[in-house]
Amino acid sequence: MINSVFRFGLIFILLILAQILLFNNIQFSGYINPYIYLLFILLLPFEIPSWLLLLLSFLTGLIVDFFSGSPGMHSSATVLAGFVRPYVLRVMSPRDGYETGAEPSMASYGFNWFLTYALFIVFIHHTALFFIEVLRFTDFFRTVLRIILSSIFSITFILLIEFYRKGKK
Amino acid sequence: MRSLLTFLARYNNLIIFLILEGIAGYLLATGNNYHNARVVNAINGLVNGLEEKIINTRTYLNLRDINKSLAAENVALRNSIERLVKNENSLFVSVSDSVFRQQYIHATAEVIDNSINRQKNFFTINKGLNQGIAVNMAVTDGLGVAGVIVGCTENFSIAMSMLNIDFKLSARLKSNGYFGSLNWDGRDHRKAVLSEIPQHVFVSIGDTIETTGYSAIFPEGIIVGTVSDFEKRGGDFYKITISLATDFKKLHFVDVIGNMKKTEQLELEKLFK
Repeated sequence: MINSVFRFGLIFILLILAQILLFNNIQFSGYINPYIYLLFILLLPFEIPSWLLLLLSFLTGLIVDFFSGSPGMHSSATVLAGFVRPYVLRVMSPRDGYETGAEPSMASYGFNWFLTYALFIVFIHHTALFFIEVLRFTDFFRTVLRIILSSIFSITFILLIEFYRKGKK
Repeated sequence: MRSLLTFLARYNNLIIFLILEGIAGYLLATGNNYHNARVVNAINGLVNGLEEKIINTRTYLNLRDINKSLAAENVALRNSIERLVKNENSLFVSVSDSVFRQQYIHATAEVIDNSINRQKNFFTINKGLNQGIAVNMAVTDGLGVAGVIVGCTENFSIAMSMLNIDFKLSARLKSNGYFGSLNWDGRDHRKAVLSEIPQHVFVSIGDTIETTGYSAIFPEGIIVGTVSDFEKRGGDFYKITISLATDFKKLHFVDVIGNMKKTEQLELEKLFK
């Protein structure tokens, strides 16, 4: 228990640092901002109580918000992601359910499963985030384009990190 | 109580979710200028739309009164035309140079927001810069003084109501021309106070009070109200209570008056101050 708290704490810090120091500075042509800190919300264990999941999601968003100077924007999107995560997991559960003690990572359930899972969450999160950012429906398709392109990049980077983690194991 | 607890237990996720989203939304609306402006705009749009609807209904219901006041105003205008024409013909040859002669321009507007119960009351009218309204124009309700424009946007203007403790007006007794300073004491929306009238002047209840035109905002001779009470207050001056001609509780159509020669007058006055 203590061990896993420590481990997730480490993952959390590393992801947030990477997001703030590296990925927040990536802006290809104004359309693409990868948000890899979502991986933290993706990786939390299956058994986590949903209130804790929501709180951690909020905290993640809040910290990213503070460092990118956009209070409330990331928090509302990450809370939404944390809220839908249990439903997404339920829809995607294998025939005999999830193993106890496993975590929703690529190492445990394979590339295809993880890709679909990440796609769902990242797309929902990015949709919320970019629409909250502009807060209007004019230029609708421009926003949608930003959502799609950024989602692709976020997922690419998330998959790369997962490949690296899997390789290390 | 028990069912409440089961309800909470059942939907605790949703409740936590909503609370956290609420906090995030609050941060979003207060922390970012852009989002703040969007939210405020949306709320304002809603409120203004509603207000406009209410006003429309009220306009319709008040048509009878409005007609009456328009008719009365017509009579007054006709009388003044009569007077002007007579003066014109009596001594001099009349020259019709409209640019030279016209000093004041009028515009009508509708009051869409008004208050009378604060110490500093303002009202909003539905015309602004685009319709030629500018700051420091006078506002009357057609007969009596109502206020002064203090701020304009493209299509709306805010006027400081006469019922504002910061409002000051130069007014005089119509019967003998002694002038004093008029302001509102913040108590009754039908009463104002005229001060600085010396005690040797003859004042009686019912005397008409009108504007002097000294301030270059209000034209001369607009009715303010009638004397309802006066008392000698220490010093050398009267404290005259006036019952206002304008009923601020049903202020609706107003007449905005701009002085075209105001800058000229003020510049001249500045030279000698």
